[in-house]
Amino acid sequence: MYALGLAARWLHLASSVLLVGAAAMIVMAGRSDRATAQRWERRVLASAWIWALAALASGVVIVGTQTALFEGRAAAAFEPRAIGQMLLETQAGRVWLVRAGILTILAVFLSLHVSVERRADWRAARGEVAMLAVAALLPLAASGHAAAVEPDTARAIASDGLHVLAAGIWVGGLVPLARLLRAAATEEGADARPYAVLAARRFSRTALAMIVLLAATGAGLAIFHVGSVAGLVGTSYGRLLLGKLALLALALAIAALNRSVLLARLGGDGPTVGRPAMRRLSGFVLVEAALALAILVIVAAMNVTPPARHEPPVWPFTFRLSFAALEGRAEEATRALIGSQIGIVGLVALIAGLAMRAWRLPLAAVALASLGAGAGLALPPLAIDAYPTTYLRPSVPYQAGAIVAGAALYQANCAGCHGPRGAGDGPEGRGLPRAPADLRAPHTAQHTAGDLFWWISHGIPGSGMPGFASRLGEEQCWELINYLRALSAGYAARNMGPTVERDRRWLVAPDFTFAVGPTPPRALKDFRGRTVLVVLYALPGSRARMSQLAGREGTLAMLGVEVIAVPIDADPDAIRRLGPDPRVLFPVVTQGAETIVAAYRLFAVAPHVELLVDRQGYVRAITRGSGDAADLDALVARVQQLNAEKIAAEAAPEEHVH
Amino acid sequence: MRAWKAVLLIDLALIVGVGWGYAFWGLREGRLERELSEARAAAASGIERRWVVEGVVRAIFPELGVIVLTHGDIPGYMPAMTMGFRVASPKIQEAVSVGDAVRFTLQGVLPNVAVTTIEKIK
Repeated sequence: MYALGLAARWLHLASSVLLVGAAAMIVMAGRSDRATAQRWERRVLASAWIWALAALASGVVIVGTQTALFEGRAAAAFEPRAIGQMLLETQAGRVWLVRAGILTILAVFLSLHVSVERRADWRAARGEVAMLAVAALLPLAASGHAAAVEPDTARAIASDGLHVLAAGIWVGGLVPLARLLRAAATEEGADARPYAVLAARRFSRTALAMIVLLAATGAGLAIFHVGSVAGLVGTSYGRLLLGKLALLALALAIAALNRSVLLARLGGDGPTVGRPAMRRLSGFVLVEAALALAILVIVAAMNVTPPARHEPPVWPFTFRLSFAALEGRAEEATRALIGSQIGIVGLVALIAGLAMRAWRLPLAAVALASLGAGAGLALPPLAIDAYPTTYLRPSVPYQAGAIVAGAALYQANCAGCHGPRGAGDGPEGRGLPRAPADLRAPHTAQHTAGDLFWWISHGIPGSGMPGFASRLGEEQCWELINYLRALSAGYAARNMGPTVERDRRWLVAPDFTFAVGPTPPRALKDFRGRTVLVVLYALPGSRARMSQLAGREGTLAMLGVEVIAVPIDADPDAIRRLGPDPRVLFPVVTQGAETIVAAYRLFAVAPHVELLVDRQGYVRAITRGSGDAADLDALVARVQQLNAEKIAAEAAPEEHVH
Repeated sequence: MRAWKAVLLIDLALIVGVGWGYAFWGLREGRLERELSEARAAAASGIERRWVVEGVVRAIFPELGVIVLTHGDIPGYMPAMTMGFRVASPKIQEAVSVGDAVRFTLQGVLPNVAVTTIEKIK
């Protein structure tokens, strides 16, 4: 089924592309009164008709396989009801209906014998074929991966549309061009030789523009669908893309040869001049076309492979390169700097070599040598150990619940060696080959969450750290990692005080859910865009402060502050205990308090804690106190300071450990 | 047949087809829109409406005849929030105290609604 679907997709893609290319090539070449040229035009149109039919037939097979896929059983491919549903109720189906309609009109039009003696008729007829072919190809973009891109759907579809159109004009034009050159290179085709040369030059110019367009839109689509180096080398979609690029490089090398060497030799329209070159060019153009059609096989496979962005990447190397490796290593940083300078010299030499013909060889040698030397000098200091899971994204978000679950797992599995507080001072850790790591240290820049996942699952050979894959499931591993993140963030937060430091966002407030009485649960995340004051309070100590906050709630509300009061004792009857006077109207958590308190205690421990969370979800100030009434104007001033800050472009902090 | 005539015919047919499709979807869209506005008008007209909602008593103002409730979603009226509601009779307030989880009935012609019954839950 998979192979059939893939073959149908390839045939469909290839025939749609060839159809556009044939029509575009005829329009590009223009009208001719030479017999050979007219014969060529008729043949190209005849093959266009066949491609239109092939596109329709393969489309039917695709619809069938797609229906079978949706319904989850092969027999559905032959049931009218299932097919109708797929056609009318899915976007891919509707797009296919529209395209099938256009293809049918095109096929009928191609089979009509219309007279094109006059110039206006020729233009109208050939222009119509080109327009219909493009109209049949373009909607393809709205039925593929591009249509599923969020949130930039329209831009992704537009990029994809331009990408297939450019591919159509370049790839599809190659085959008719090769035929024209071959026909003109024969003895009896001499009459069409100037026409063929002109057509080849026009095509060459257009194809160059199309390749630039392909590269630009392709780069954009790669960002949409792959987005990272890990996605490129670590997922099947990314590897298909690499294969596509390798084939493309080969095709472009041949295209460059065709354009710069063979095309130039076509000059002269005498009976012998340029004829062998024309025949050779025809052959090379066919090779270019064959490579391009092979690329379409990969494209068809990519169409049925989930984009890299939605797949967990498996990092294939034992190292990765990152500037984080240079942190605190001045000597290595100097080395990397010198290496990069040498590399830049190499790049300059490369560009100069391209520009100056006479010096090309020596400059290229210099460029190669200094690029190699620069890379050899600069890259090794940047290397950090990496593992297959290094770029794996956590499947459990950074939430209070996960942190608390992770804390329990930590105490059961890790505290023995790493110590109850993560300081690396557990009793069982003594005498291990390597001292257990201090998990509070801020070494997150050099280690991804995926690194931690690998170490927890598989251990660290030779250090005494065992692998826990047999004891902890994947989800539990991530919970543990969420706890470790909160632990080290909390250790760093011990220095955070009640004053707001301008534009210093680093402490992400773990998300939590809470409920007030029987009302539906809400999450901290829902308050994004407003400033939140999370108050961890305990009665009776905090009564004075709570009264103060309640009394000035109007002021705070006007400043855009939401107060969320969390009783440290997690009393489900907290609202009643606060009493009717003064009136406390902000949310008082009656469900979920236990989890919130357990997680946020990693950041601050005091009888009364207030955490000021800014509009983007970062903790910006922590007040630890006893719950006495304090200066409320100071709080108002801090909020005003936060409100005066500009919201950074990357509005939401990472929901996940990174 | 002259080619440009054939082309013109095909293009006309295409335009008619696209136009027909657009009109079809447009009509459907329009119908949905109309139904929605009718439903909205019905909601806004003088019809009495009634909701049963759960919440928590946060404050009581006996002298104003107002009770402040943190409540869940009130479909077609307002999302979950904390706010004050008029009570239909003073007796209603006396039955509950601050901190009680309650189920209450909100009744009236928008925007003049009031709490008509209230009972503790749990």
